[in-house]
Amino acid sequence: MQQTQLKTQIERLKSAGATYVDARWYPREETSNLTMWNGNLKNASASQESGVGVRVLYKGAWGFSASSDMSGLAGLFDKAFDNARVAAERVTFPVRLAEKDAIQASFSSPNRIDPFEVDLSEKIAFLQALDEKLNQAGVVQRVTDMTFMRKQIIFLDSEGSEIEKNIIEVFPGIQVMGMDSNGEMHSRKFSPARIGETRGWETLDLQMFMENGERIVRELNEILVAEACPQEERSVILLPGIMFLQTHETIGHALELDRILGYELAFAGGSFVTLNDFGKLRYGSPKLTARANATIPNSPGSFGYDDDGIPAQDNLLIDKGILVGAITGRQMVEEANARARRPIFSGSSGANRATAFYRAPIERMTNINIDPGQDGTLDDIVSKTERGILLDGEKSWSIGSNREQFHFATDIGWLVEDGKISKVVKNSTYKGDTLKFYNSLSAVGDKSTWQVQYVDNCGKGQPNQIMQLGHGVPVCRFDNVRIGE
Amino acid sequence: MKDKILQTLRDLRVYALEKGVEAGFFYHEEDSHLMRFANSAISLNTNEHLIRLEITAFDGKRRATYEMITDLSKLEEMKQGLDIAAEMVKHAMPLSYQPTNPAYAQDFGDESAYDPQLASLTGEERLAYFNEAVQGLETDDIKLSGIFASGTNVTAQMTTRSEHAQYFKTSDAQINVVLSHQTKKWEVLAEQSAQQKSDLNPAGLQRELSFLLKRYQDELAQQIPVGKYDIVFGAAAIGDLLSIMNWVGFNGGSMKRGFSFIGEDKPGQKVFSDKFNLSDDPTRRETFPFQRDMIGLERKPFPIVEQGVFKGFTWFQDDADEFGVAPSGHTVMHKSLVLAGGEEQVSSLEQLVGLPRENDLLYIPYLHYMNIVNPSKGLITGSSRFGALLLKKDGSVVVPFNVRITQSLLDIFGEKVAWMSQAQTVNNTSASYGARNPTAVIAPTFMRVNDLEISHSNSSY
Repeated sequence: MQQTQLKTQIERLKSAGATYVDARWYPREETSNLTMWNGNLKNASASQESGVGVRVLYKGAWGFSASSDMSGLAGLFDKAFDNARVAAERVTFPVRLAEKDAIQASFSSPNRIDPFEVDLSEKIAFLQALDEKLNQAGVVQRVTDMTFMRKQIIFLDSEGSEIEKNIIEVFPGIQVMGMDSNGEMHSRKFSPARIGETRGWETLDLQMFMENGERIVRELNEILVAEACPQEERSVILLPGIMFLQTHETIGHALELDRILGYELAFAGGSFVTLNDFGKLRYGSPKLTARANATIPNSPGSFGYDDDGIPAQDNLLIDKGILVGAITGRQMVEEANARARRPIFSGSSGANRATAFYRAPIERMTNINIDPGQDGTLDDIVSKTERGILLDGEKSWSIGSNREQFHFATDIGWLVEDGKISKVVKNSTYKGDTLKFYNSLSAVGDKSTWQVQYVDNCGKGQPNQIMQLGHGVPVCRFDNVRIGE
Repeated sequence: MKDKILQTLRDLRVYALEKGVEAGFFYHEEDSHLMRFANSAISLNTNEHLIRLEITAFDGKRRATYEMITDLSKLEEMKQGLDIAAEMVKHAMPLSYQPTNPAYAQDFGDESAYDPQLASLTGEERLAYFNEAVQGLETDDIKLSGIFASGTNVTAQMTTRSEHAQYFKTSDAQINVVLSHQTKKWEVLAEQSAQQKSDLNPAGLQRELSFLLKRYQDELAQQIPVGKYDIVFGAAAIGDLLSIMNWVGFNGGSMKRGFSFIGEDKPGQKVFSDKFNLSDDPTRRETFPFQRDMIGLERKPFPIVEQGVFKGFTWFQDDADEFGVAPSGHTVMHKSLVLAGGEEQVSSLEQLVGLPRENDLLYIPYLHYMNIVNPSKGLITGSSRFGALLLKKDGSVVVPFNVRITQSLLDIFGEKVAWMSQAQTVNNTSASYGARNPTAVIAPTFMRVNDLEISHSNSSY
């Protein structure tokens, strides 16, 4: 019924002169969060929303409008059209959309147990068990939390596409914090890597959380009595628990085509990458191969079809160190090819996404992964490192506006001397220039070190949008990096 | 509309009482418009009208919340939301403390920060503003980006504990105008915050941008050496630093949990420069203030730091409940932070550049992507962006590539503060994540801090 009405409105605007119209109808989106802090269930919340967002292209300009009130669809579509009409008064490069096939399809994220069908009491018991496990000497703050999402999205456009997506996500995590003798707070956390082929409640393995809870408490206590990270130059070995964020911030965001084309300059920033760089720029050492892979089953960066109606893909971004691809949607590839006066991109890579019905889609990361390498296990890499530091756990991250430089702090560092781990250090940090850093990549771990980590809070755009995605990354070693500053 | 909102809350209250559920209702309605520019075009023109209802159910020390996006015609759906919250709370575990569900002693309404003229701006008016703000400044190489975000925000609260309600309505606008060079990649920015239509001043933005643009067009950007500099921060950088301090400085809950660089023993002690006077002042309409907090406490100007002496922590009600502290009237969506101006007579960048100086001054108007490296030390890091200048002591001006600063807030606002400008600027710090929440910090237009370390200096943009 609603779909028929939406189609009618889409056709009406097309007849009125719109070049393109689409509607994303969310019949229902639900989110639930449970957060336990020092044994207190500080947050037991659930939310639901429904509504429709309408995007209209008119005379080369976008208009968008959204509402949760489905009773006034004609007015909503008219508003989006009117917004496009005003926007068309200031057009410099008329928006064109890359060709695509009209698709009638559906996608469901793989899961065996819908977390929304699990009793609240069972979820709380899970958190309680973990909370008790973390309540050990040295721990002054302990947090266990889990967030669940379930959404149904119906996409319709004026080119004949009709796609239904049903997506379920589970985001759990635990964290412990302790105070050292200087009164400084330190923390250690664990968010499980994606193991298996699904992403429902069944992925929450209490035993795995218990084991890792024990580990992070032990590591926290080691941090509390550790010396400070030295200020010097060393090789840094990034475990997946920090390599995912390094990848996210300095490959993922840097290769969003809208950033490269200047569409985020008012806020998030641009990119040091230019259109001339594709096919030529040595982004990293030959050991670096990165891809945007929206086809791995167990990650929130896999969603079947993007919000342009483009199917999920696996695309190379960096091939043996050379920049070859970007994170793209239908609009940006057309503009990039025209501006570059050469066909850099053959079509959209299917990465245009919106966080909710009330936001317009923009280029977002899918799963930005680093291919496993040939340098063996973590032990192999450590054993071949003369003077280094092993780092894990994101503590803070700050990136230059063109993603050209960065500063990261991590939860924990282990110094490596003559191929052996020597001791834990606290307040570990590292910084660098993006290209110099990736060109210093000297070792990439094999498949045994490769993990899919998730990001559930990637922010971008105006109005701001929070997005969920993933990163499959191995252990990586970079040489001659400044640490401890 | 106000009557309909309040009647809806009353209906929900009656329903909850009939069901024997103790509950609190938080209503949020936004009418948001955003015109976004990129590459000298309007890249997105959008509007959203959203109503959110947050229902919190209480059962002794148990608490559970259900939030929905809805509309006022859906009372039955809202009642179902209450039923869900009531069911959830049965399964929630008790807190170790008694959470507060407020009982409002009287009805309170405040629409003084609402200007219907600002709220009803048309798309054509937003575009006209931008056209005036960049008049004569765009070229084939210099492109316009930015946003004109404006809207209306309504919040209302009622609980089952009394028949009274609170109601707030504000209008706001946040304008950022960026001019960037297509190939050289530099960017300059000017911005404005508005609570009423008469606050809008596109000609003022045009003057600021013209001045900056001339410097950036005439000078080749340079990599400056790392090391110590006397830095002049602009109001936006100061506003962002204060916003971080709001989180890991004087927030009582953060302090109790060990995430503050201001210790529990610090009230009454000198912590910052004696030039540093910070307050939460809900009398300043430019900050989109709340005259009552969500607990119903009357909000008055609250000194946080006076002449460098830390006066006291601010408490959100739930933290006050947990740690057994008296509430301070800070259970609000945002505070009204005001950093008092100093004595330096400088109110524009043009004047700053013209000031005689004994040392080089590094002007950093904005800090990009700031993050907290070590909350216990107040250690933050961020990069310059949008129009930084190195003002040489010989009077010349250098355009620097972006630099990184990694420093403690105790240093930035401590004894190294040389001066603050008497002039103040309203810095709109609104974020558009989630529900609309217009927020602004009033800060000196400029603040000079001597001897701060630049830890990284770019060799390009």
